Amino acid sequence: MSEPSSEITARHPTRLGGRSPAAVWIPVGVVVVIVALLAALFAFGLGRNPTVVQPVDLGKMAPAFRLARLDRTGTVSLGSMRGQVVVLNFWASWCADCVVENKALQAVFDRYRDQGVQFVGVSFEDQSGTARGFAKQMGIRWSLVSDPGTATAIDYGVTGVPETFVISPDGHIVAKTIGPVTYPELSEQIANAMPGGA
Amino acid sequence: MGGEGGRAAGRTARTVAAGVLAAALVAAAAAIVVIAARGAPAPTTLQERVRAVAIGLRCPVCQDLSVADSPAPLAQAMRAKIASELQAGTSPGAIRRQFVRAYGSWILMAPPRSGLSLVVWILPIVLALAGCALAVIAIRRWTRDRPETRPAGTAAAQDLRARPDAPDELSASDRRLLERALAASGASEDPE
Repeated sequence: MSEPSSEITARHPTRLGGRSPAAVWIPVGVVVVIVALLAALFAFGLGRNPTVVQPVDLGKMAPAFRLARLDRTGTVSLGSMRGQVVVLNFWASWCADCVVENKALQAVFDRYRDQGVQFVGVSFEDQSGTARGFAKQMGIRWSLVSDPGTATAIDYGVTGVPETFVISPDGHIVAKTIGPVTYPELSEQIANAMPGGA
Repeated sequence: MGGEGGRAAGRTARTVAAGVLAAALVAAAAAIVVIAARGAPAPTTLQERVRAVAIGLRCPVCQDLSVADSPAPLAQAMRAKIASELQAGTSPGAIRRQFVRAYGSWILMAPPRSGLSLVVWILPIVLALAGCALAVIAIRRWTRDRPETRPAGTAAAQDLRARPDAPDELSASDRRLLERALAASGASEDPE
């Protein structure tokens, strides 16, 4: 069995030696390029946070809604607020971050309530009674609505609470915050949405 | 010569066998493609129609679960919304587009077959074809080289001498070379 193997090994240098350098280096180059591309792809993919969802509805028309009020009788519709900046805040009584953002939200409300900015809190996956109790406890003074079947939240692409949208007077979504809002950020978003804003 | 005829017949038989094997592989691949393209049978009940849409949508609050399979309240609400839209006469495609408009193409369990996402659909097919082509080239090269590297005195050569009309494991020219080499070396162990 040793004879054939020695013959094979004896022949190989001749075969390799007979090849042009291009014939050897082109396949090597192709493999190197493919490996480099895969490495770059992995580096890009692994460097991203897969749980972060980029807001896709910025600049689009805000989905219309007409929802029953939680805090008193009547309804709130987006159409009735046309011509005004609307701050739409999705919240729940079981949401810890909603407690965290409440102070900032209250401060922004106090700053803009007399400037024609409408604040609407949409209850997300909550019991009406529990939500009302939470709102009273937090001292929330803006309109609160229930969202049967979470339909409006789904229309807005909400994945959790809190999420806050700023809607321009002509009905376009101009800002979206996933997680607790801060006073400076929300103030700036509202200022930009107001007529004559940036 | 009977030996030449036998070798030719053997070659033909192997060509036919290879052809049948290749045809079977192509048929199997085509069957897989057809079955995959056809997908599940068309849903009939509302529940099945809801599931057919929901299975293609990602549950936003889960790890790798579709809206159809998730027990999360948001997924339940999404299924209810799909049901009400279907009952209102909205087409499954339009419902999917509504979800994409709200959540982006991220909401789809399978990437869309357009734009940059098309790459992830085409690339595996291109790589599989390239792999097949590479395998064919490599096998042809190996089978072409094999007779040249096999010296006289191997098991195959002895087998050839024992059965002169054996199927042609060597090409006709190699066979002549082999017989000449055996004759030159004396070949005293010839049974005849």
